Amino acid sequence: MFSRTTADQLAGVANAQAVKGRSLWQDAFRRFIRNRAALISLVLLGFVLVFAFFGQYLSPHEPDFVDFSLRRDIKNLGAPSIENAHFFGLEQEGRDLYTRVVQGTRISILVGVIGSLVAVVVGTLYGAFAGYMGGRIDSVMMRIVDILIAIPFMFVIILLLVVFGRSMVMLFVGVGLISWLDMARIARGQTLTIKNKEFVEAAVATGVKPFTVILRHIVPNLAGIVIVYATLLIPQLIITESFISFLGLGIQEPMTSLGALISAGASQLGFGTPWMIGFPLFFFLITLYAFFFVGDGLRDALDPKDR
Amino acid sequence: MLSFIARRFAVAIPTILILIVVSFVLMFAAPGGPFNAERPLPPQVLANIEAKYGLDQPYWKQIFDYVWNVVVHFDFGPSFKYKDRSVNDIIAQGFPVTLTYGFWSFVVAVIVGVTLGVVAAIRHNTWLDYLAVGISIGAQSLPNFVMAPMLVIVFTLWLGWLPGGGWNGGQLQYLVLPVIALSTSYMASIARITRSSMLEVLNSGFIRTARAKGLSDGRIILRHALKPAMLPVLSYLGPAFVLMVTGSVIVDSYFSTGGIGVYFVNAAFNRDYSVMMGITILMGALTILFNLIVDLLYAWIDPKIRY
Amino acid sequence: MTLKNTLKATTAAALVLLGTAVYAEGHGATHPVTGEPLAAEQVFTYSTIDEIPSIDPGLVEDVEGSAVVRDLFEGLLNQDPDGNPVPGVATGYEVSEDKMTYTFTLRDNAVWSDGTPVTAGDFVYAWQRAANPETASPYSWYIELMSIENAAAVIAGEKPVTELGVKAIDDKTLEVRITQPLPYFPQMVTHGTTFPVPQHVVEEFGNDWVTPEHFVGNGAYVLTERVLQERLVREKSPTYWDADNVLIDKVVMLIINDSTQALTRWQAGEIDKTAQGLPPGQYPSLVQEYPNEAIAVPSLCSYYYNMNMRDTAPEWAKDVRVRQALSLAIDRDIIVEDVLAAGQFPAYTFTPGATAGFEVPMVEAAGMTQDERNEKAKALLAEAGYGSDNPISLEILYNTSESHKSVAIAVSQMWKQTLGVETTLANMEWQTFLEERGNGNFDVSRAGWCGDYNEASTFLDLMNSSSGYNDAGYNNPEVDALLAESKTLADPSANYTKVEEIIAADVPIIPIYHYTENFMLNDAIKGWPFENVQQTWYSRELYKVAE
Repeated sequence: MFSRTTADQLAGVANAQAVKGRSLWQDAFRRFIRNRAALISLVLLGFVLVFAFFGQYLSPHEPDFVDFSLRRDIKNLGAPSIENAHFFGLEQEGRDLYTRVVQGTRISILVGVIGSLVAVVVGTLYGAFAGYMGGRIDSVMMRIVDILIAIPFMFVIILLLVVFGRSMVMLFVGVGLISWLDMARIARGQTLTIKNKEFVEAAVATGVKPFTVILRHIVPNLAGIVIVYATLLIPQLIITESFISFLGLGIQEPMTSLGALISAGASQLGFGTPWMIGFPLFFFLITLYAFFFVGDGLRDALDPKDR
Repeated sequence: MLSFIARRFAVAIPTILILIVVSFVLMFAAPGGPFNAERPLPPQVLANIEAKYGLDQPYWKQIFDYVWNVVVHFDFGPSFKYKDRSVNDIIAQGFPVTLTYGFWSFVVAVIVGVTLGVVAAIRHNTWLDYLAVGISIGAQSLPNFVMAPMLVIVFTLWLGWLPGGGWNGGQLQYLVLPVIALSTSYMASIARITRSSMLEVLNSGFIRTARAKGLSDGRIILRHALKPAMLPVLSYLGPAFVLMVTGSVIVDSYFSTGGIGVYFVNAAFNRDYSVMMGITILMGALTILFNLIVDLLYAWIDPKIRY
Repeated sequence: MTLKNTLKATTAAALVLLGTAVYAEGHGATHPVTGEPLAAEQVFTYSTIDEIPSIDPGLVEDVEGSAVVRDLFEGLLNQDPDGNPVPGVATGYEVSEDKMTYTFTLRDNAVWSDGTPVTAGDFVYAWQRAANPETASPYSWYIELMSIENAAAVIAGEKPVTELGVKAIDDKTLEVRITQPLPYFPQMVTHGTTFPVPQHVVEEFGNDWVTPEHFVGNGAYVLTERVLQERLVREKSPTYWDADNVLIDKVVMLIINDSTQALTRWQAGEIDKTAQGLPPGQYPSLVQEYPNEAIAVPSLCSYYYNMNMRDTAPEWAKDVRVRQALSLAIDRDIIVEDVLAAGQFPAYTFTPGATAGFEVPMVEAAGMTQDERNEKAKALLAEAGYGSDNPISLEILYNTSESHKSVAIAVSQMWKQTLGVETTLANMEWQTFLEERGNGNFDVSRAGWCGDYNEASTFLDLMNSSSGYNDAGYNNPEVDALLAESKTLADPSANYTKVEEIIAADVPIIPIYHYTENFMLNDAIKGWPFENVQQTWYSRELYKVAE
């Protein structure tokens, strides 16, 4: 489910960046806006974000309100309609699907973004620290990563959610935890090359403490690779969340996520209510497309080798 | 090389031990137990059952006994839920099923994925490329819990070509739908990775030289480009293979194939500790093994790598 | 004595009814009694949601497992399509004067599938094994429930299994001693836990004796294939004493975890019967499309919400007016007609109306319209001092499941829309849910209860303050006294009515609906016991007609 390859591909990004220094950002920006697919996706992503965070103001309905008068016969009364302002129709419990898709998109994006933030922050700090300290500390820390990477983490997530109960926080932590390992490896590799640069040696020589060096001088130089990794991680975490929702361990009702909506819609397949799967799936797909293309675009932009 | 393998096995042992301990801790921390039910068992009956399975022993002794039985007798204990079956029985019956459909999914995913990726790379920035990228992102994003019921509705209910589930000893017609459902998202990832690493290779110096020498495109791709372009794909294939052959909850639960994927999730929910442990250990061991195989293949493809 | 005679009469009737299938030359067979043309392939395929924990009679614990055990083994008595006991391995029994000793006479022609005769000793061995603490059967309490002499002591390991009050007088005579008269004792020996097991096979193969290679049973079918989580196949046993009257040759049980998937495969003709429980809300359109095949029959189960009645419960929950208001504000008609929509019955009292000899008491709420109930609920809540200035907020605890979720969402909205009560939902996976509910960590929690036997006390005993299943934590001495008294009465129905009325007034639980069994059944399959409220079915009574 998690492509280790993104990591491998990123190595090139980082090398290029280390060599080129500051002006890289301007180059990258120029390259990015020349990439049509990425640019369109960025605009699309903007729309999705506006929809997710402001879409509810277009609807008079509440996402948890059950309209019992329509609930009688959702198949016929609950179809999408402009007249009663149920733009996407009703879902199978008789609630407004439009506002629920808005809420679901918001939560799915949040899970993806916060989860990948957790992964990136933990992974970068861990990797940079190991790489900077070197020697025995480094090899112990990296052996731990080797061990953890062999653990089937999807299953650990299931266990965690089963054991500690389900909550937003657990979900963020859980999905973040399974993806920081690759980030740690990349960050370490990068740190090894940066650590011998003059500016780092100068800082060390003037007596700056190791942690300050890592935070002030090493981490900022990892920014490019971190951004790309994080962008490509978001859609993968959204997919992971949908699987967790399918298992019934996702977000708590009446709140919802795209994964929960799709999973519920999929259970109604063939029952004559195609909108229940159609709308959430549409937003799920365009969100993922947008993130993947923007991520690919960022990577290409930051890696001058690949046009 | 041998010492490399030996070192990897040295890491494998603590990994598995850690896995066992972590799973044990999580299970003991989990609320409920394997014998809770809507209708609680009378205390005496519960005590008898716990005595039979050794759950009345102190935790350290349970862990020790477990490890002892696994290591010395290769006995993973009885299932708590399926009372007349042992974990060895369950794995012996379920794993070959998972292995079969997982293996074929792997084969399909690699063949289709690599072909799609290579074609997209060769026809870079043409409609074919866009189509291939579009299809693969879509395939990666479409959750397989949506795809599985759709496949059944189309191929079983509407067309009547294939059975909607079951295993029947793994006959071809029972294999088709699970393989499609399982391979799609892996196929998509493989295509995307192949495409981008192929692009990178095609733009590199030695391919330009080959082109300058007037070698034909087909020859360049097959003889020179494919092998180095496969490196990043390989590092993805190891973990992907493990994920595929250790089963998919979704495939097992929608197609009733009887693989071990569904056992694990059910075991986590039922607190069937021994089944959960058995499968976790199996997965961990396979992950370690396949990561090792991938590393060895790496060395074979890229002679620059030394261990 | 009279019972013995009734039994014999029923046997005769059954024999007349069945007889042997008549084979007409050049045509398919016809049913011996009804004359319906039979399908050439007598195969019955059905689905279950989950793999069966065990098919060993000594260990069997669930409904689907019991169905398999009833096909593979045969106990002393069977149930007829209406649920009454009829002869099985025993041709009849005698009850002693004090009604505490039963003597069963076993038929001569009952044999195991390996040819050895079924003896009284096999029953003794099976019962001792089920009670033996070393077997650790989750159903050992059933032996205790049957009140067999020394059962509790044997289960506790305080007495050897040989002390259990069951004895083989000779090969064909079994004597059972119980500690109190139990009018429904004959009914109890139709349950799988009491079925015989072949001692010689069990001792030779241990746990593996229930695998197809080693399997030996005395039922109408033998186990021929078992793939865990996929299928279980049983085929007609030629050695069964009544094999001539068994029409279905092969029974295939498929495990299909997803009810929608099972429905799709039923529509594709892959299975004859789906597991109980159609996808929620789909029954009405299915019954339109398949009027003879979408089935919903009443069952002995109640669905209700527990109110937390413990001292630790929130302040509002201690006010009976609030509890009454919450109960009144639930529109049961919407729940049964729109949300679940599979013929369930709205419940204002606990015990299902399908229970034998139980008259549903007419409580006030049942006679009102929903508008009247809502008005009264609002008034009660206002009287208790809660409203928009002092709102109640509560949480409904339920276990993860599609239909529990649907009910909880609907109820929470009814409370919110009618009473302004802020309701949050907390669904937990099964084991966590049981733990939280058992410990009383909830405001309102979902519960369901199915009768162990067909009599009202199997439900009402839950309201006893000492019941282990009283999750509401309800404690009313009056109810306890009424229930205790009912055990000694010849006709306890007045007490039951009184208890129901007290519950309706006190509202420790909010009854919501009474279940139906709902499933799809191919209309070529005949002989399904729709009249049996416990849905005790035997494959040997089914047959498939030609279409």
